[in-house]
Amino acid sequence: MRTLRRLPLNLAALAVLAVAVFPVYWMVLTAFKPAVEIQAETPTFLPLHPTLEHFRTAVGSAGFAGFWRNSLLVTVGAVLLALLVALPAVFAVGRLRWRGRRAFVLLVFTAQMAPWEALLIPMYVIARDTGLLDSLTMLTLVYFMTTLPFTIVTLRGFLATVPAELEEAAQVDGCTRPAAFRRVTLPLLAPGLLATSLFGFITAWNEFAFANTLIIKNQDARTLPVWLSSFGNVFGTDWGATMAAASLFMLPVLLVFLVLQNNVTTGMTAGAVKG
Amino acid sequence: MRSRLLPLSLAAVTLLTAAGCSSAGSAGSTGPAELTVWIMRDSLTDGLLQRFEADFEATHPGTTLKIQIQEWDGIGQKITSALASNDAPDVIEVGNTQVAQYAAGGGVRDLSARTAELNGADWLPGLAEPGKVDGKQYGIPWYAANRVVIYRKDLFAQAGITALPKTRDEWTAATAKLNSGDTEGIYLPGQNWFVLAGFLWDEGGDLAVKGSDGRWQGALDTPQAAAATAFYQQLQALGHGPKDSDEAKPLQAEVFAKGKTAQLISSPGGAAAILKANPALKDKLGFFPIPGKTAAKPGAVFTGGSDLVIPEASRHADAAYQVVRELAGEKWQREIAKEMSYVPNRTSLAGALSGNEGAAAMAAGAANGHATPNSPTWAAVEANNPVKQFLTQVLTGADPAAGRAASAAITKALNSAG
Amino acid sequence: MTATRARLGALLPYLLVAPTLLGAAYLLLYPVLRNLLMSVQHFRMAQLIRGNPEFVGLRNYTELLGDPEFWTVVRRTLGWTALNTALITVLGTLVALLLVRLGRWLRLAVLSALVLTWATPVIAATTVFQWLFQSRYGVVNWLLDQLGLHGFREYAWFAHGGPTFAVLVALVVWQSVPFAALTLYGGLTTVPAELYESARLDGAGRWQTFRLVTFPLLRPLFALVTSLEVIWTFKCFAQIWVVSQGGPSGATTTLPVYAFQVAQSLHKYDVGSAASTLTVLILLGALLVNLRRMFRQEREEQS
Repeated sequence: MRTLRRLPLNLAALAVLAVAVFPVYWMVLTAFKPAVEIQAETPTFLPLHPTLEHFRTAVGSAGFAGFWRNSLLVTVGAVLLALLVALPAVFAVGRLRWRGRRAFVLLVFTAQMAPWEALLIPMYVIARDTGLLDSLTMLTLVYFMTTLPFTIVTLRGFLATVPAELEEAAQVDGCTRPAAFRRVTLPLLAPGLLATSLFGFITAWNEFAFANTLIIKNQDARTLPVWLSSFGNVFGTDWGATMAAASLFMLPVLLVFLVLQNNVTTGMTAGAVKG
Repeated sequence: MRSRLLPLSLAAVTLLTAAGCSSAGSAGSTGPAELTVWIMRDSLTDGLLQRFEADFEATHPGTTLKIQIQEWDGIGQKITSALASNDAPDVIEVGNTQVAQYAAGGGVRDLSARTAELNGADWLPGLAEPGKVDGKQYGIPWYAANRVVIYRKDLFAQAGITALPKTRDEWTAATAKLNSGDTEGIYLPGQNWFVLAGFLWDEGGDLAVKGSDGRWQGALDTPQAAAATAFYQQLQALGHGPKDSDEAKPLQAEVFAKGKTAQLISSPGGAAAILKANPALKDKLGFFPIPGKTAAKPGAVFTGGSDLVIPEASRHADAAYQVVRELAGEKWQREIAKEMSYVPNRTSLAGALSGNEGAAAMAAGAANGHATPNSPTWAAVEANNPVKQFLTQVLTGADPAAGRAASAAITKALNSAG
Repeated sequence: MTATRARLGALLPYLLVAPTLLGAAYLLLYPVLRNLLMSVQHFRMAQLIRGNPEFVGLRNYTELLGDPEFWTVVRRTLGWTALNTALITVLGTLVALLLVRLGRWLRLAVLSALVLTWATPVIAATTVFQWLFQSRYGVVNWLLDQLGLHGFREYAWFAHGGPTFAVLVALVVWQSVPFAALTLYGGLTTVPAELYESARLDGAGRWQTFRLVTFPLLRPLFALVTSLEVIWTFKCFAQIWVVSQGGPSGATTTLPVYAFQVAQSLHKYDVGSAASTLTVLILLGALLVNLRRMFRQEREEQS
């Protein structure tokens, strides 16, 4: 009786499950299907004859390793830079009293909502003026700035969960305030740092608009999203290879999410991560 | 372990900045000149490019060539950025419909002083004029080509077609006959706007017209355009060409190379790409001019081609000029004509094509050659081509407003001052 | 000694936030100002290459505001934003309400699926959707054909404005619902069960319970989610650019795409900058309410 009443509910849940998972499932499935099955009049929904041929095509395509390297350099560089700059700021905001603190926090909140897409044109011109067009440096700087406000806001949220009294106790033992912060609070903040940087990683890893605007003539400096977006030029109508490339591109993000699984909701409520 | 996170990240940042610097620094190195040359996708076969590279490097010691193949997709933005940067490629191939924009915009080296040396008096006007602004020659004519029909001789014979079609009616009848079983009559992707332009000129229409006030007006909402698209649609339906894609996605030569296609509209050079993908088709390919409405006149074609430009920002302008001189000079013009069946940049070299089947068909068609609207802003139209979108809309079910929208988009782009 | 130390101590916070401020000045404020400057200059291809742009006052703005196409784009952008936000919020709420009612295992499965969707990179999802809606071998056309809608056999979704728009909405909604659902679900779990119980005793139906109990309690959370979705869909660029470049025939050109197109395809960097500025102003208008709320929250936190 109870199961019967729950039936519509469970059916709805299954529908949500299907809609949510299907595109990703289809991507991975297509990547493993032989070409004959991909171009079949009637599609198959199970990997009956899995093949690695498309992954070989994707990995073997021109410049593949280089695009990975570029994406990793830019992403990791931006995230580390953001952490380095954010930590002192978070300490100042969360632990010190000073004039202008509120204005600073407001500034960070505002910066977090900066419509970056509206700055594509001036960024392009600035990059050109400074000779940084087509360089990964400029892209790293832009990603650093796009992740910085969010990093500060989220870390501030994490810092609020670490009682200041711990540092004060250390100060009594003769530490200076920054030293106390470093020795006592920072280790406690480590999970927060990890979560924050991984969210930053995802943002930078996925970014398309700036990578598409700032890397133009030097094709070797392109990052993965831009490369993947031009799959028509790279793989033609080879959807198997395209889906293999997309799956590989998604892999690091999935790994990050697995690492994060406990922190996901914490990070979300702390910083409201979004595009 | 956790406290090590910070020093670790510091080290990584140092490492990254160092890596970033070194890669940027190498670009400015002096010493033997490395020239970057941008060639468009499928302009020349890989083999020809490799031969040129080897030959040039052998005859110009101390200079190495780095030939980069560029996609047509988004090329306008790319070339503009290159011209505006201080680290531009040294030689760029530019389509003859787009060269005027770059010549007018600046950033391209004035090569007027070299025209005599390059026998400029003899250049094809269709390539020389778009490269010229205010009497100064910026673009050096490279090659010209127009589209022909590449067909499978064996499939035509199998279908019992003995005479090559000379009129549209004969053409569609033959194509319909070929289009049976496994074979598709013609592979015509939905967005081959150059082909549509030809049909449009056949009808007496044009892509855009210039009013007496000097303002351009897109002309895809005319009865002529309707007639041209109707014929395009009729032809397109006699094969499996995708309605929402152009000849580059997928590369049409590779589709044809699969062996199940009887005809393809391409410059004769497309045959080289087909044979590269499928050498078994050697001796099975033939060419004929795109048929016109009557047998008296071949179908109108777009006179396409390319110019070569040297950006102002090139750091090796003299060496770059040597590349241009070689590519535009007699030796390589003949090589290119032979392998790609392109029309050489000088009328006096036309003999290079004698005995070339593809070129003969092309020359016949060239008698009815046309150009895209002569304006530096035409490149802006191609940058986000409304003609392609218009074609797809027509082919996938007529949208009465499509012609008007496309015309408006052309009008707007053409009248945007530089 | 102690005096200098105290002075240093007073300076310390400013030193600590200095890198952030410098970064923001160069990478955020400067581009904003540069954008404003360009929008009042004649800055085209020739100026990009040769420099020396000329001051033209508000000409670029008048050109834009006098262009009917711009207003079409503005209306389309507002419609796009409203449609997406509404769909995301409604579907997100429904999924969140579903989640709290599910058994443990099924809930875990749905939660994982939502996280998976949420984690899918934008460009990966965009690529997959192009494949799902591919005309010849796309599984969507096959499915619709199987369901008896034979008009969808080899249907070219990206050939027409309406269908392209629909696919883009589906893509954005698919990507965004998980965030809304997970956030709202997080909020729902904090609502005390007694409140539902008493509502039930008072004879409230499901809809009434939601309207009178759940929604008021979660109002701030709803405000947050909708604000974020407004920002996100309003400035959405990558998906549209990759799928359609704003086409066909401009049917999916929203403001960010429009500004980029004007600048990069037509080489009117000046008009593009003006369009960007107006984009920000319009978005800012939509967000003012949200900002004020944040500010108030911040003050309450302090006191």
